[in-house]
Amino acid sequence: MVTLGYYLIVSGILFTIGFAGVMLRRNIIIILMALELMLNAANLSLVAFSRFHVDPTGAPNYNAQVFVFFIITVAAAEVAVGLAIVVALFRLRQTTHVEDITSLKF
Amino acid sequence: MTFTTNSSLPWLILLLPLASAAIITLFTRRSKTLSAAISVGAVLGSFLCSCAVFTKIDISAPEFTWIDIRGTLQVPIGFILDDLSRLMLLVVSGVGSLIHIYSLGYMRDDAGKSRYFAALSLFMFAMLGIVLSNNFVMLFIFWELVGFTSYVLIGHWFERDAAAEAGKKAFITTRIGDFGFMIGILMIWIASGSIVFDDIVAHLSKITSNPTYLTIAALLIFCGAVGKSAQFPLHVWLPDAMEGPTPVSALIHAATMVAAGVYLLVRVGFLIQASQTALLVIAWIGTITALLGALMATQQSDIKRILAYSTISQLGYMVMAVGLTSNEAAMFHLFTHAFFKALLFLAAGSIIVSLHHEQDIWKMGGLSRNLKITFATFFVGALALIGCPPFSGFFSKDAILALAYQQNMSIFVAGLTTALLTAFYVSRAMTVVFLGKPRSDLARAGAESPPVMTGPLIILAALALIGGWPVFAQNFLIVPHEKETVLTVPILALTALIAGSGIAIWLYRNRDHEPLHADLIRHRFYIDEFYQWLIRISQEFLARVAAFIDRWIIDLGAVRGASGGTFGLGSLLRLFQVGNLQAYAFLFGLGIVALIYFTIFR
Amino acid sequence: MLLFLALCPIAAAILILVGSPARFTALVAAILNLIVALALFIEFDRTATGFQFVSSFVVSTDWGIHFAFGVDGLSLLMLLLAALVTAAAIWFTDKIDNYENSFYACLLLISAGAIGAFASIDLFFFYAFHELALIPTFLLIGIWGTGNRVRAAWKITIYLTVGSFVLLIGLILLYQSLPAASRSFDFRALQSVIAGQGIADEAQRHIYLLLLLGFGILISLFPFHSWAPEAYASAPPPAAMLHAGVLKKFGLYGLLRLAIPMLPDGAHYWTQLLVILLLGNIIYIGLVTIAQKQLDWMLGYSSVMHMGYIFLGIASANAIGTTGAATLIFAHGLSIALLFAMAGEVRARTGTLSFNELGGLAKVMPFAGLAFGFAAFAAIGLPGFANFASEIMIFFGAFRHGWEMQGFHLFQIATVFALWGVVISTVYMLRAYRATFMGTMPERWAKVVDLGRGLRIPVAILIAGLISVGFFPQTVVNIITPVIRTYFAANK
Repeated sequence: MVTLGYYLIVSGILFTIGFAGVMLRRNIIIILMALELMLNAANLSLVAFSRFHVDPTGAPNYNAQVFVFFIITVAAAEVAVGLAIVVALFRLRQTTHVEDITSLKF
Repeated sequence: MTFTTNSSLPWLILLLPLASAAIITLFTRRSKTLSAAISVGAVLGSFLCSCAVFTKIDISAPEFTWIDIRGTLQVPIGFILDDLSRLMLLVVSGVGSLIHIYSLGYMRDDAGKSRYFAALSLFMFAMLGIVLSNNFVMLFIFWELVGFTSYVLIGHWFERDAAAEAGKKAFITTRIGDFGFMIGILMIWIASGSIVFDDIVAHLSKITSNPTYLTIAALLIFCGAVGKSAQFPLHVWLPDAMEGPTPVSALIHAATMVAAGVYLLVRVGFLIQASQTALLVIAWIGTITALLGALMATQQSDIKRILAYSTISQLGYMVMAVGLTSNEAAMFHLFTHAFFKALLFLAAGSIIVSLHHEQDIWKMGGLSRNLKITFATFFVGALALIGCPPFSGFFSKDAILALAYQQNMSIFVAGLTTALLTAFYVSRAMTVVFLGKPRSDLARAGAESPPVMTGPLIILAALALIGGWPVFAQNFLIVPHEKETVLTVPILALTALIAGSGIAIWLYRNRDHEPLHADLIRHRFYIDEFYQWLIRISQEFLARVAAFIDRWIIDLGAVRGASGGTFGLGSLLRLFQVGNLQAYAFLFGLGIVALIYFTIFR
Repeated sequence: MLLFLALCPIAAAILILVGSPARFTALVAAILNLIVALALFIEFDRTATGFQFVSSFVVSTDWGIHFAFGVDGLSLLMLLLAALVTAAAIWFTDKIDNYENSFYACLLLISAGAIGAFASIDLFFFYAFHELALIPTFLLIGIWGTGNRVRAAWKITIYLTVGSFVLLIGLILLYQSLPAASRSFDFRALQSVIAGQGIADEAQRHIYLLLLLGFGILISLFPFHSWAPEAYASAPPPAAMLHAGVLKKFGLYGLLRLAIPMLPDGAHYWTQLLVILLLGNIIYIGLVTIAQKQLDWMLGYSSVMHMGYIFLGIASANAIGTTGAATLIFAHGLSIALLFAMAGEVRARTGTLSFNELGGLAKVMPFAGLAFGFAAFAAIGLPGFANFASEIMIFFGAFRHGWEMQGFHLFQIATVFALWGVVISTVYMLRAYRATFMGTMPERWAKVVDLGRGLRIPVAILIAGLISVGFFPQTVVNIITPVIRTYFAANK
């Protein structure tokens, strides 16, 4: 029987991989992909919760699934903006390595 | 406040000079003659009203509430019109009028004439206020105003550094006296519940219940008199005040303002006489002042300074009399002194003007030939001052010496010595200035002053002659009578007089320069130097220390500390801004973990 | 009427920034304000208690905030002071070379802030209006000042902001300590709390300390005074007049209006601390003032010193002392404004205010000498001016506190020191007057011109204020004592 816990573990692993990717990869585009991975891990756990929490009348609680739609939309918008910034940065600095873009330091 | 002709007179006396001062300051500064006329008119008006007040036995004037806080502090502006104040009104406005008229001549060509007469009117306002006050605070108000006008008048020729410094010194020294005075007033008020003299007399038992308290309060009030009447040790401002025009010296620093201290002591006699210690201290300070003043006068070569130190000495006599529990003798001497000292100063002014502002007696000489009226009147004043019968000074000084003889032998000896010294320095001045041969061209060329100046001289000379005669004086005040020892004191006094004058005339006849050299006395016992040193210590040292602490410790410590700390904290936090995106993400993650920890597990 | 008083300067400031002739608009606004203030003073009902001319608009019912104005005797006096000094300050403004519009706008905003704070009977707007005046002060000193002006501007702004911050904490705690049901920012509600059971003793002590420190920093209480001399020395004269004369008094007004009546136990607890600090103001700062060699610094330090006297009156906690304190606020504001104005005029003509370089100026500037003389003697407490009347009340009130015949206690000793402070102030003021206006005049000042005839009017306004209260202090006492009486009656 695949219970809630399994889904959550998978979600957690995905989140960790994504987070590690954000912190450790050098290429900005890969970082954005890892960010997407984190978002989708959250989506997975939300859907799992929605599927496995059933209220007394037998109807599942769809609030979480609706929330997932919001997250997908926001993720899409964010990627669009993020990639636009990466393109602008590339035009300016000719690099996509995140370590080279450190002008905002004090 | 209803005004009837009877009761508005005191207000008129007080407000006429004030109106004059205000009008001159605001409107007539350009027109010098008009200003002078207004001022003289106002003071003559006050004098006439004072005569009227003097003759009306039963008179009272409406009061005006200056401050009234719920009955806990009530300061009225009201008048006291007993014999003492009526006498003082006459003296102040009378001598004041004569000096105003004299000023018309003395200050004829002065550029600041309007300013002078405005200040003179303001002075009359303040001085009349003092003698009319019925409570401590009102008296203090006018006391301070008198000091202020004195400052303005001493510094009349303000472009001269000496005059500016002298005015400053006078005001500050008298303020130090006022410091003690105010504390005394506070002590009396809080113990008796009122500042009005009559109320305090009624509640006197509350204060006398604690003798130490009473003595301290009385002595503190005496501090005010020490400052204003130039007693030792606050006498140092009076000689310097001679930088002002001579009529000012005559009016303020001889006849009236300096007498205000004595008037105060007589007015609050009910307090002072309740404490034997206070009386003794006062008597001795008066004695020391008298002796010191006379000593210092013997070596001065500026004619005005001789008279200034003489004033200090005579004021000492008056204070001595107060300390010997005889207000009558003090007032009698104040009365006669006002006439002969004003006379002497005005005569000196006449000399100074004739000699084109030369004041050194060693540049004068033989003036008896050309300045006949001045010489005669000065002579009358001198005789009154040294106490030669039948002039007024004899009677008043004799009364004081008789008191001392009866009560305190050491004070009597000191007083007698002072009388000898007085005769000495006065004769010295007379001999050097008027007798012998002229010592300079100015002296040779000097001519008599115009009638507007010699007129007041003659009037004052007449008063200096008859002022002490009981038939004249008893119309104005209580003439003190000697009890026993009728002849001893006058004989001793006359002996001192003859001895002093004789030695002086013998020493100073036909001399060209000062034969005696007593450095200690000539440098006025180095008291001025001592005060300079004290001031240097407090002003420069203390003030610099305070400024240093302020700039470096408080400023540096607290203020710079605060800003430095903020900068330091900022520098510390700056270390987090590395610019590396992934480092930020890491910190972000750490933050989330902490958040989860604190919300879920705590 | 009160709304007009507070909003007129703001409206004028906006008009000026938009483009109307700066000096003319500002002058008209200031004179209108003065007339309205005088009318209020005459119309004021001296027998009624409570606030008059009240106008109130609700802002938030949950928090109890109203945009409310009203006057009683105390605030009426403050408003009169603000109107007088504003008119004088604007009149005394010299020709401004750069950004003239902004200069006048800043002056008007400071005035609006002060007037709004004094007229407010809502705690929120009381604080807000004062904050309104902080930034214009910064701009005035930083842009149009002299000497080390940028540094002075930073110092005063940050210091006063810290003070306001401490004050804010205190005010919030005060608000919180009120019983929950009747919590309001309205002064009248606060007054009913006082009349009722008041605030708990323990809480009073903490809150009072915060308020004392907060207000104290704003008033330059020792040792939080170092912002004042530098700021006043560097500020343009109108700004110095407004700040030293009016804005600084906001703190004293706050103490009198809020801290003392609402927190009497707290005030009583911290009395000794306050007395020590105010003696620091009088004696320590007095000595520092004597050491100053420049007129502007000396005046700055002297204004700090005189705050000590007002504190003494407040600390004495009786009707006499408190009335004296309120009157001295008025008197000092006028006299220091005139002093700073004259100093500014001297500097404008000679370029220096150093005692070594000046001298004998009364010969070429007789009117300035007369005006400065009046102001100087008023400041050192010469009778005939308002300062003397108020100092008399303060000394009598302070001496009375805790008096016993057996010996002198803290307040009697403090009064003695305060009286010595009068001698100290005489020394430095006379010395300054002599060094600037008397004595021999260096040749280079021979061409200096005296004050223009137009300037006689603001000088006359200020001196008239000082003399009328000096001769007739009972007029002021009559409007203040009912206010004081309600405060002390409720608690004692």
